[in-house]
Amino acid sequence: MTSLLLILPLAGFILANLPAGRAFRRMCIVLPLVLSAVQVLLTLFPKASWWTAGNAAGLSLGFLRIDGISMLMLLAIGLVVFASSLISTATVRDERKNRSFVNLVLLSLLGMNGVVMVTDIFTLYVFLEIVSVCSFVLIALQREQAMFEGAFKYVVLSAVATMLMLTSIGILFLCAGGTSFTDLSSMIARNHADYTVVFAILMFIVGLFIKGGIIPFHGWLPDAYSSAAAPVSILLAGIVTKVSGVYTLIRLVVEVFGATPKTSQVLLFMGALSIVAGALAALGQKDFKRMLAYSSISQVGYIILSLGAGGALGIAGAVFHLFNHTIFKTQLFINAAAVEAQTGSRDLDAMGGLASRMPVTGATSVVALLSAAGIPPLAGFWSKLVIVVALWKAGHPVYLAVAVLASLLTLAYFLVLQRKVFFGTVAPGCDSVKEAGWRITGPSVAFSLIIIAVGVAVPFLLDTILLPIGRML
Amino acid sequence: MESIILVWLAVFVPVAGAFLLPPVGGVSKGARNLGAFAMVGFSLLCSCLLLSSVLNGEVVTVSLPFLAGNNLFLADRLAVFMAIVSSLVGAVIVLYSMGYISHYKNQNEYYFMVVLFLGSMMGIVYSANLILIYLFWEITAISCWRLIGFFREKTCVIRADKAFLVTAFGALVMLIGFVMVYGQYGSFDLQTIKSASAAHPVANLAVLLILFGILSKSATLPLHTWLPDAGVAPTPVTALLHAAVLVKIGVYVYARLFVSTFTIDPAWETAIPLIAGVSALVSGGAALIETDMKRIIAYSTVSQLGFIFLGLSIGNDIGLAGGLLYILMHSIAKGGLFLCAGVVEQKLHVKDITRLGGLIRTMPVTAISFLLCAFSVMGIPPFGGFFSKYMVIAGAIKSGNYLITATFVLGAFLTMIYLFRLFAMVFLGEAKTTPVAEGAPVMVGSVAFLAVLSVAGGFFISYPSVFVQSAVHQITGVVQ
Repeated sequence: MTSLLLILPLAGFILANLPAGRAFRRMCIVLPLVLSAVQVLLTLFPKASWWTAGNAAGLSLGFLRIDGISMLMLLAIGLVVFASSLISTATVRDERKNRSFVNLVLLSLLGMNGVVMVTDIFTLYVFLEIVSVCSFVLIALQREQAMFEGAFKYVVLSAVATMLMLTSIGILFLCAGGTSFTDLSSMIARNHADYTVVFAILMFIVGLFIKGGIIPFHGWLPDAYSSAAAPVSILLAGIVTKVSGVYTLIRLVVEVFGATPKTSQVLLFMGALSIVAGALAALGQKDFKRMLAYSSISQVGYIILSLGAGGALGIAGAVFHLFNHTIFKTQLFINAAAVEAQTGSRDLDAMGGLASRMPVTGATSVVALLSAAGIPPLAGFWSKLVIVVALWKAGHPVYLAVAVLASLLTLAYFLVLQRKVFFGTVAPGCDSVKEAGWRITGPSVAFSLIIIAVGVAVPFLLDTILLPIGRML
Repeated sequence: MESIILVWLAVFVPVAGAFLLPPVGGVSKGARNLGAFAMVGFSLLCSCLLLSSVLNGEVVTVSLPFLAGNNLFLADRLAVFMAIVSSLVGAVIVLYSMGYISHYKNQNEYYFMVVLFLGSMMGIVYSANLILIYLFWEITAISCWRLIGFFREKTCVIRADKAFLVTAFGALVMLIGFVMVYGQYGSFDLQTIKSASAAHPVANLAVLLILFGILSKSATLPLHTWLPDAGVAPTPVTALLHAAVLVKIGVYVYARLFVSTFTIDPAWETAIPLIAGVSALVSGGAALIETDMKRIIAYSTVSQLGFIFLGLSIGNDIGLAGGLLYILMHSIAKGGLFLCAGVVEQKLHVKDITRLGGLIRTMPVTAISFLLCAFSVMGIPPFGGFFSKYMVIAGAIKSGNYLITATFVLGAFLTMIYLFRLFAMVFLGEAKTTPVAEGAPVMVGSVAFLAVLSVAGGFFISYPSVFVQSAVHQITGVVQ
């Protein structure tokens, strides 16, 4: 019944727009919450018979498929959409904007679920566009000037990516006579030296680099993340770019394009570049959300690097870090939302000592930042360890050193963040700040617990979930 | 079976229990303080109970069924020795904290971090694989970071960040080394590596990288700069981190990896004493010109760590035994020195020794304890420190490396000068401050206890030294 994951958000979207009374419309706020909660619950039991029910009766769509990595992504999508929707109820007060938010989030949910399940490159493209168009509008939702600027940059660069991907799909379709992953991968395996095919692959990968915000295609990302409203930036940074850029890249490189030595070289180089440049840029930021945005660029670099290392371990590391990054970055954006909601500012220099005023937010942000910096025993350490071991096994000692030492840069900028915002003495003007409400701190605590739980349970997860993912793809 | 449970308890009672302290502290402060002390004391008790089985030559290994081939924990004589030393000093410091910290903010966080720190120290000591060592190593760095920044002033938090960055940098470099070792032997498990490296020594680059991490944690030149700066922390923290326990992590991991597990190139037996010698001399000189009480003791720590490294790396049994004994004696005596400085600082709020003097008249117990601990650090017979220093120097002579021996004798001489200078300027001469009474009983009591231990360590040297020698035999694989 996998198609229900697409049908339900669509049904929710229609329901939310029925010409009904105001009371009913207000109720619609719970739709994304319920749908994402259901999705999380379902994915927690990946072996349940629910997933295969109806297949025999021909009720499932042929181009949909769920494997380990899709399941993990569905879980992450559910978690982030839930957190984002819950926070929107606390921060987006305007009723009309709230309705637009509900509509757009439901559509994004539909699009992202589609992206992680399809087995056809053109359908993939359609779902990617659904997600992107929703994001454009979401960023500009509050109609402030900075938001329009962020959205506009995203639209322009996304258009370039769209053009590249569509051209690439056209060429690949001409060469293979079909657009399903199996058709394409067998065609590419036969013609891997053909320049037309290589050109098409390269165009697609560059398109995905733009979507994922890899340096030097990252121009839109900091503006989009930092200008958007709190729930939108959580959604965008937590999952949208990860699904539309990074997940798609992993899926296509592993399953369709094939990991040739040349692609590996490109991925390794681009990954290392993003890691270092993103981290250095983050060091200099004065704006809470911009720092997190650059940190995203840097962390996505790790995922790309791991993908470039290849092998079962490399792919497992990429997927694992993708999941971990979703969790800790969502958590950090939630904390940024909490701080912004309570102090009205994102300027790091204007804050200080908030840990004594907002103890929950302060403590959870320590957990998230240490996970991001790869400090054990938190989840982020284990994914970086897998990546490092994969790089060693693939014989890339230089990239290994870059990956390990860049963790220090990550630690450095997060320590600056933590010191300026939470640690230290209370800044003047922050005296009367109070802790954010439960709708913000609740998700924050939940995500921290996930980080700790994944970190502690990693020996179980590694053998049961992660390595099988790496081998299966 | 029983020993296995003891190892689990020794590590996880403080590590897991630490998380209970903040909520308990919200209800009752007394219960939290006692709870913190009880957890550390319980861990000490578990390690002491392990004594009998390890003395019989048993090596307790703990593994989990789903980690095929990878042991989790390992308790041999070296581990038990180290565990007892650090939890003993840790327990005294927790006791002392109850007096020192009682009127500051953020006490919940303080006890949480201190107990977590001591628990992860136990974790490092009993670890049987490289990943677990790294894991607990970084947990100690996290607690160290929060503890140095305890007072929340700008300089404190910046220096806390500095300490965290320096040690994390060292740890990351060490992690690369660990991955190289994994690449060479295909395992993170210490015992597997031990048998495999007997035939093929560990690659020199890996040794260098791991050594880099160890030196950063043990604050040895050139990675020592964070340690004197960390003196902005509350004094029990400086005592805990920078005298007794944290810096010993590096030394212990050195002993565990390079002495007891890996087979390494013999050239390191010259290179490491050389680094240690330079470190001992330079920091001894720095201690001689500093005027901040805590910075002098901190530099003294850097200098004394050189002696420990010398003993462990010189490559013969007497040096090794001396190095291990040195860990014990130095932890006790240096902990005592820091805590005495803390008593003075808490009473007078002055750390500059040029503005202090004549305190022996009003604080006799603190002054005498300070002197006794200082004698032990200097290595004056019959104090505990004398025997360890003697054995280390004897080991250096036995190795035939006279230049290095001479360097360390000079270093020992410097130790005497700067400690006498410190004592004379703080406790003798005329009083320069308003007279103050002796500190809180629990603080002075802890200080006196450590001083008594320093004296007893000398008179009853045979007990620890027999144990240390048996540990050395076990490490070097000599059948008794």
